[in-house]
Amino acid sequence: MSEERTMELLIGPQHPSSGHMRLYAEVDGDIVVRLKPNIGYVHRTVEKLAETKKYIQIIPLVERPSLADAANHNLGYVLALEKLLGIEAPPRAQYLRTILAEMNRIHSHFYGLGIHGIMLGSSTIFMWGFADREIMIEMAQRLTGARLTYSYIIPGGVRRDLPQGFEEEMEKALRYIERRLKDYGKLFLRNPVTRARLEGVGVLRKEDAIKLGIVGPNLRASGVPYDVRKVQPYCAYPELEFDVAVREEGDSMARVLVRVEEIRQSMRIIRQALKQIPDGPILSENYLKMIPPKWKEFMETKGRVKFPAIMANLRPPKGEAISRVEAARGELVYYIISDGTTSPYRFRMVTPSFRNVVLFEHLIRECRVADIPAIYGSMDYFPPEADR
Amino acid sequence: MMNLMSLFRWILDLLFSPWLFVPLIFPGLVTVFLVILFIIWFERKLAAKVQLRYGPLYVLKQLGGAIQLVADLLRYLFAEPIIPAETDKLAFVLGPILLFGASCFPTVAIPVSSSFYAIRSDISLLVALGLLAFGPAITLIIGWASNNKFSLIGGLREGYITMAYEIPLFISALSMAALYGTMDLIEMVESQVGWKWGLLLNPLAAITFLILALMSTSRFPFEIVEAESEIVMGPFTEYSGILYGLTMGASYVKFYVLCLLFSIMFLGGWKPVPSFLSWDPIGPALVLLLKSLILMVLGVFMRAVYPRYRIDQALKIGWHMILPLSIGSVFLSLGLILLGVVP
Amino acid sequence: MGSRSEDKIEDITKKISQSLQGLSIEISTKEEIVTVNVKPENLVEVAKKLKDMGFDHVKSVTAIDFPEQKELEVIYHVSSLGDLDLAKVIVTLKTRVTSDDPRIPSLVEIWPSSKYPEREEHEMLGLVFEGHPELERLLLPEDYEGPPPLRKEFKVRTEGIQG
Repeated sequence: MSEERTMELLIGPQHPSSGHMRLYAEVDGDIVVRLKPNIGYVHRTVEKLAETKKYIQIIPLVERPSLADAANHNLGYVLALEKLLGIEAPPRAQYLRTILAEMNRIHSHFYGLGIHGIMLGSSTIFMWGFADREIMIEMAQRLTGARLTYSYIIPGGVRRDLPQGFEEEMEKALRYIERRLKDYGKLFLRNPVTRARLEGVGVLRKEDAIKLGIVGPNLRASGVPYDVRKVQPYCAYPELEFDVAVREEGDSMARVLVRVEEIRQSMRIIRQALKQIPDGPILSENYLKMIPPKWKEFMETKGRVKFPAIMANLRPPKGEAISRVEAARGELVYYIISDGTTSPYRFRMVTPSFRNVVLFEHLIRECRVADIPAIYGSMDYFPPEADR
Repeated sequence: MMNLMSLFRWILDLLFSPWLFVPLIFPGLVTVFLVILFIIWFERKLAAKVQLRYGPLYVLKQLGGAIQLVADLLRYLFAEPIIPAETDKLAFVLGPILLFGASCFPTVAIPVSSSFYAIRSDISLLVALGLLAFGPAITLIIGWASNNKFSLIGGLREGYITMAYEIPLFISALSMAALYGTMDLIEMVESQVGWKWGLLLNPLAAITFLILALMSTSRFPFEIVEAESEIVMGPFTEYSGILYGLTMGASYVKFYVLCLLFSIMFLGGWKPVPSFLSWDPIGPALVLLLKSLILMVLGVFMRAVYPRYRIDQALKIGWHMILPLSIGSVFLSLGLILLGVVP
Repeated sequence: MGSRSEDKIEDITKKISQSLQGLSIEISTKEEIVTVNVKPENLVEVAKKLKDMGFDHVKSVTAIDFPEQKELEVIYHVSSLGDLDLAKVIVTLKTRVTSDDPRIPSLVEIWPSSKYPEREEHEMLGLVFEGHPELERLLLPEDYEGPPPLRKEFKVRTEGIQG
């Protein structure tokens, strides 16, 4: 009669805090011996579908995997496409892209905080996180017209200009978020129970983080100051001043604190961008000259772009392009190979959550069962983004 | 006509006789149900206030959704209690019923006023606390009978956490017994004359008793047995319908009993009875109920503030922090006796 | 400022060309992307040399199907996380194998960050990475039968309006 010491626990897709994935945990009493992630439950074949769609149709396709962070995915794809086409967006459009990207970063971090809170048992942080995310959704609606998946960034520029009164409303929103962050600090970050649950739990060492190719706040919480916005600046980032949030401890608390600090830095960027934004057109000259003058007048008065007919059949020349942006959860890489037709020959999209999957096996070992949601939430792993 | 009146009067006398009133009406079954209906609604409303939302609102909109729990209870009554095929059916079905009953049981030993009690014994404190100890055993049985790994883990956690709180709970209660010189609940209240409430005399025992009451009934931050984000619903994962309603209510009932005991030992029980309400037993009963409700609101508010601890952290708190404090409260009681504060 | 970083990139590409002499078929540079074309036999050595230079992680593994030439092209995008100067450069490591017998040595020993991307390309295009510790299904459902989806012979069935 063999004696089995470990029990296999399937924290499967039908579990209050497993997300859309399955975790095979081998548990010895209260200690987790091994954890294997099983992803692919929400695989939506973005890469294969992109080979059948036209270039402009891929924009909504690419936004859908990551809901909270759609603008950064959109931005990465359009930057790669612009490299293929050989055009550049005007400065005003670059600033507008930056503003939307930073708004999405704040949105995504509040979402992550909320999910982490409910995994730890604090329903207050869940409700607060999702309520404060609503502020950014409302501001995005004023700017782009949609709440979640904007399709705002198009090759050559952006779709809409700043509406009236946007700057004042954004200033009010940012002040509100600053007040709320103080409450978060009091209730959650300095709460003795939270600190007991998160400090020293799931420590990721610097060498391991680099070796495993981890990206995003998980990497910066382990002491590596790698941020694509500083290493390879794009859009309006070369002209904006901000700090990269880095911490040395590498435990779950450090990851949460890095995210909260990034929210503050994003607010700083939005304020600077709104002050420094130059005047000018929002669509590149190559496309502006293709629009008939009657529609051009509409564009001036209403501040909205009318698409030139060529956008429906963009044919970039043969070649390949690679682009990287700093999405809210990490570094996002796009690689497009074009063969001169209206659809890409090969479309490769590597999302930050996909690169962080290896952390499940690496971090959740020799810890307790109750640490599984604590570490999972601190990684800010989003299953649809990883599965694409 | 006269017969009807005398029949009515006979029924009233029967109802108000202590041995029927205490288990049935106060602090027995009827009050238990009313307290559950009120406290769960109030918990949801309080948490909602902190969390920037409304809470229960629509059931009786003018009163702010006050009878939401009546609607919930009716839903549980009419939902189908699904009994999975591979479980130990007798234990599965009897478990919640026994759990709820065992939590209600200690109300028998609690007196309502100096002359209104169901049983009087000179160890009624021990009777009440001892009857509370049935609960964890039944939870373990439920955890095993459900044939589900998550329920097993939840049941085992209940066993572990019993180790953390049971001993210090008894020590704190017995330190008060030592202070008053008696284990009879009625005499405890009698000894708290004027301003000399147990809370002011021995605050150490009061604090530890309150924290241990939170630990023993899965109030946040010690909601470890039913940790929803780790082990679905703990031992109560497989339950639906009225069986689930019973398990949900059982922990609130246990907390209610512990709050009653706290009011009697530390807050002066049913004294001071205001003169306009001195109709035995309604007056003292209302005072006791009011004090217990205030305590329950305090305990239930923790949901909005704290996340939950891990099981090993809760055990550490129980053994490293609370146990020395309870033993300290015993010495505090002994010191007070030597100083002659309490005759 | 711009010219200094361009100089740095030029230095880095010169260093790469020097250390990979003889092992590669072709090296080309475009802005910050260095493309190195190698034969499958030299892949592991080139990878080791790149790792010694400081390129410590793989950003993505891409495989492309060329049905006319009956070849699969495997592309590794490699960069650095620890060294912020090298982090500007992305080295594109390209190699080709035949699509009838698509075997290629796995680079998991050298770069552990290529573990999951290699698994994904294995199931999507049928590549066999020799030496990979766990070459199983990652994203596709367990009961999927059929050709590897990202090959060109697998056509996406559309209904209704054509895209």
